[in-house]
Amino acid sequence: MTASDPCFLSVAEAAALIAAKRLSPVELVRAYLARIERLDGTLHAYVRVLPDEALAAAHAAEAETAAGRHRGPLHGIPIGLKDIYDTAGVATEGGSKLCLGRIPAADATTTRLLKQAGVILLGKLTTWEFAIGGTAFDTPFPPARNPWNTERDPAGSSSGSGAAVAAGLCAMAMGSDTGGSIRWPAAWCGLAGLKPTYGRVSRAGIMPLSFSLDHAGPLTWTVEDAAIVLQAIAGHDPGDPGSADRTVPDYHAALASADLKGVRLGIARGMFERDCPASGAMGAAFDAAVEVLRRLGASIAEIELPPLALYNATASLITRSEGFAIHEKTLRERPQDYGALARDRLTIGAYVRASDMVQAMRRRLMLVEATEAAMAGFDAILLPTCPDPAPVLGELGPYFDNRRPMYMRPFNLTGQPALSLCNGFDDSGLPLSLQIVGRHFDEATVLRIGHAYERATLWRERRPQL
Amino acid sequence: MADNIEDRFAVETELLGLKLLPGQEANLRAAYGVLREAVALVGTDYPFEAEPAHVFAPAPDWASRR
Repeated sequence: MTASDPCFLSVAEAAALIAAKRLSPVELVRAYLARIERLDGTLHAYVRVLPDEALAAAHAAEAETAAGRHRGPLHGIPIGLKDIYDTAGVATEGGSKLCLGRIPAADATTTRLLKQAGVILLGKLTTWEFAIGGTAFDTPFPPARNPWNTERDPAGSSSGSGAAVAAGLCAMAMGSDTGGSIRWPAAWCGLAGLKPTYGRVSRAGIMPLSFSLDHAGPLTWTVEDAAIVLQAIAGHDPGDPGSADRTVPDYHAALASADLKGVRLGIARGMFERDCPASGAMGAAFDAAVEVLRRLGASIAEIELPPLALYNATASLITRSEGFAIHEKTLRERPQDYGALARDRLTIGAYVRASDMVQAMRRRLMLVEATEAAMAGFDAILLPTCPDPAPVLGELGPYFDNRRPMYMRPFNLTGQPALSLCNGFDDSGLPLSLQIVGRHFDEATVLRIGHAYERATLWRERRPQL
Repeated sequence: MADNIEDRFAVETELLGLKLLPGQEANLRAAYGVLREAVALVGTDYPFEAEPAHVFAPAPDWASRR
């Protein structure tokens, strides 16, 4: 890596250079393709690279710019898509033997919106099988590795998305988040990962796992980049029954304020000190981040949320049940074609009774209301994203290990926007993470807080040494 | 219904008509225990009128709805 390596420009930086005709999308794509060629044999971030298509799109983007047609900040920006995002004419296989050779006829809504905004698709990215299968070694696709230490897990299920952005193999990537699968790889790979409000970004054309908990969103190097991407993909889509018809604000304008005066933050200390104590490094990084936010002008107080275990149990029953409903036919007809982890994690949903599911949905509403009530007087909640940094690849509990639950699932259940960002590194150089959770449809405040924090710290200056 | 959790797992597996692959039963039995713990934690003692969260996209007046 060098300071001038175009693969390490943020989206905002690259966009400014492209708009000024000081950076060619063709040269940018060539740089990424060369880096993918050099590193992805180790990282396995990509399941499919599209060099010819990417170069053709880059030439087209360059021609558009030359002709005076500039689409905006994603014009000519090379990206990757988790391989559950449908791409017209390009295989989308969900990390599964069951979908080998599956070629969608149409783009996912988000794929289409990103293309309209001018992105260049470099390829499709590794995913846990059907976004649930865990770090598996028995599917056709090898698991992605963490660029900060290739013996470590990048987390999932958007594992390739996290690895690719951190390693400089694309400028940004899309992921999906049912129980944390955008924020978790963002946390372990040192990125910004935004799970928008449920309903804010369309899931049409993205392989589902759990209809009422699935969210789509970006993994980026900076919070500013996440704002740029969200601007392009947010909005109502009749093709997604969960899509909300709500006004989309100007997210970049929300980043303009350098300080956080008037912002009220609640620390959910009970979750990471009582319910599942965070590691020493994670706790120390959290405390240091709170002091940065306080210096920026935010007011800070404690907030008490319902127990983490109650959120997680409720979300677990819903995910299992909805996931089994989606996969039941195939699980009964072709169980041998699933990897063992995906097969077991989906099959257990058969044992959730109808009344169990209804009780979970009743509990869900109570938890949503309790969370809303706890947030009275606050603009956002602060807590770590995970209790620990990345473990060795393959050491994640294979079957339903609840000993060290993450802090992300509550906000899939409530549907609130949640952002993970890097707030330091442990002694071995692995990224640590901070989570900012906002009110429904108030991504702007979440992004503002995250951006102010990033500008006040130096963590974005460190990249993996590969 | 069987009394212990292992018997309940066996009975429910048969009722569901699931054909488990070799090695799958032990994993699922362990997972079943975790699942029943989750069910117990979520509970059943709700007020008669307590509704489920059947609308996922929050309405503008979400917080004041009830």
